[in-house]
Amino acid sequence: MMIIIAPGAVALIAAILAAAISIVDKVVNNYGEVELDINDGKKKIKLDGGESLLSSLAGQEIFVPSACGGRGTCGACKCQVTSDVGPYLPTETPFMTKENLADNIRLACQVKIKSDISIKIPDELFNIKKYDSIVKSIVDVTHDIKEVTFDLQGEEINFEAGKYVQLVVPPHGKIKGSTQRAYSMASKPGEKDIVRLLIRLVPGGIATTWVHTELKEGDRVELVGPFGDFFRTPTDTTMVCVAGGSGMAPFMSILFDMLDTGELDREVWYFFGARTVKDMFYLDELRELEKKMPNFHFVPALSEPEEGTPWDGATGLITDVLDKYLKEEIGTDKKREGYLCGSPGMINACNNVFTANKVSLDDIFYDKF
Amino acid sequence: MKMTPAMTMAQENMQPGVITEEGFLGDETIPVVDMIARDEGEMRDAGLSFVDTAKRLAYFMEEGQKGLGEPVTIDDKWLIRVVDPRGQLPCPFKDGFFHKMTAQITRKETNESVVVTDLSIHLLREHHFIEGKGSRFRLEPQVMKRVLFD
Repeated sequence: MMIIIAPGAVALIAAILAAAISIVDKVVNNYGEVELDINDGKKKIKLDGGESLLSSLAGQEIFVPSACGGRGTCGACKCQVTSDVGPYLPTETPFMTKENLADNIRLACQVKIKSDISIKIPDELFNIKKYDSIVKSIVDVTHDIKEVTFDLQGEEINFEAGKYVQLVVPPHGKIKGSTQRAYSMASKPGEKDIVRLLIRLVPGGIATTWVHTELKEGDRVELVGPFGDFFRTPTDTTMVCVAGGSGMAPFMSILFDMLDTGELDREVWYFFGARTVKDMFYLDELRELEKKMPNFHFVPALSEPEEGTPWDGATGLITDVLDKYLKEEIGTDKKREGYLCGSPGMINACNNVFTANKVSLDDIFYDKF
Repeated sequence: MKMTPAMTMAQENMQPGVITEEGFLGDETIPVVDMIARDEGEMRDAGLSFVDTAKRLAYFMEEGQKGLGEPVTIDDKWLIRVVDPRGQLPCPFKDGFFHKMTAQITRKETNESVVVTDLSIHLLREHHFIEGKGSRFRLEPQVMKRVLFD
């Protein structure tokens, strides 16, 4: 009999304790109304305390980049907190550099607002909006990359070519919460009523699997943006751009924006790496662009071309092709800027090639994902 | 088998929505210690050691990174694609943070794949935890045997 009663009694006590903790939490952790001061009084907001800084800002339509839904695993939502909000949490410190710690940079998702708080965020964040879009088209551009175009339903997005948006993946299947992922826009700034993204299937990836297997034309999807520090300088310096896979996106935006705005004289080299012919895409569009922009040079390269499949372009790892062209074609006698879109490994490898060819790290641009 | 406080904490961290949206347990509800004990048996049945399997996975991860985001062929037998999404994940056992680097290792002759992350290599090597059945990143011993080894 005791064997039956004892677990029940333990469960009952646990339930009572849980209820008590919940009630105490509501009473003790009632922080009341607090003031959020943004950028030295530029904006002051009264709100109820107790929520994270990230969600409190989102509630005020101020969107700080975030890719993990506030779980402290992406490190994207860094912002400067200028008032005392307590010590760093163990979840924050892995993302902080020495400079971040000195500037009291915090992860907005990990800072809970318990009293008045002052923060500094880039002014651009005030221009970021949430868009309720409808999927206009989905096109397979390769076997694992989809071009997805979203109609903003009368809203307009204003951005510089090279920036990115966050795609909000809704709960689906076993995924109970919404998830956000960042994708560079392939559409041009002149196309204000749409957003076009290139989304490559990531093995095991929640967002990309959802896009590739469940998303369909006509679906409603939220986008948040534009974000990012990646855009071309307003100079006539030679641009050397490098990408692979869906890293194509920001360069389609930048290059076709240059065509639209008549920026035709600037020398631009675009190196695009893929493994085989079946991983290559937009070749016709970029060859056409070469005809319209006399100083634009497109250099597609295959790292593992398959026997029997015709290919008359460059071959080899994209960094080796870049190195060869920097030495033999582009030259080192003029100032050059590097523009990169890819994984940290690809960016590090390209940085090494650029610096070995006398391109300063200060002149190499990429989003630090 | 008895759950220690550390195991109880780890199992809580493995629930959906704590560290990752889907968690680490898949469709399973049994205690993690029981899952580990069962999977140690499955690894043994497959003739795999945790140390050697972790070394093999780490080797493929390292070689795959040379593709700079594009797939790369290793030893004519495997096609590896490594992607490096932004961010880091803490281990549910609270003994480290790991980049979200993910490798898809495909045996070319059969087209069968294993998907592995930096964190899942750590979980396999240090905790003998290969994730619950039904988890997106479970390292199924028999599949690893077929895909990773000659």
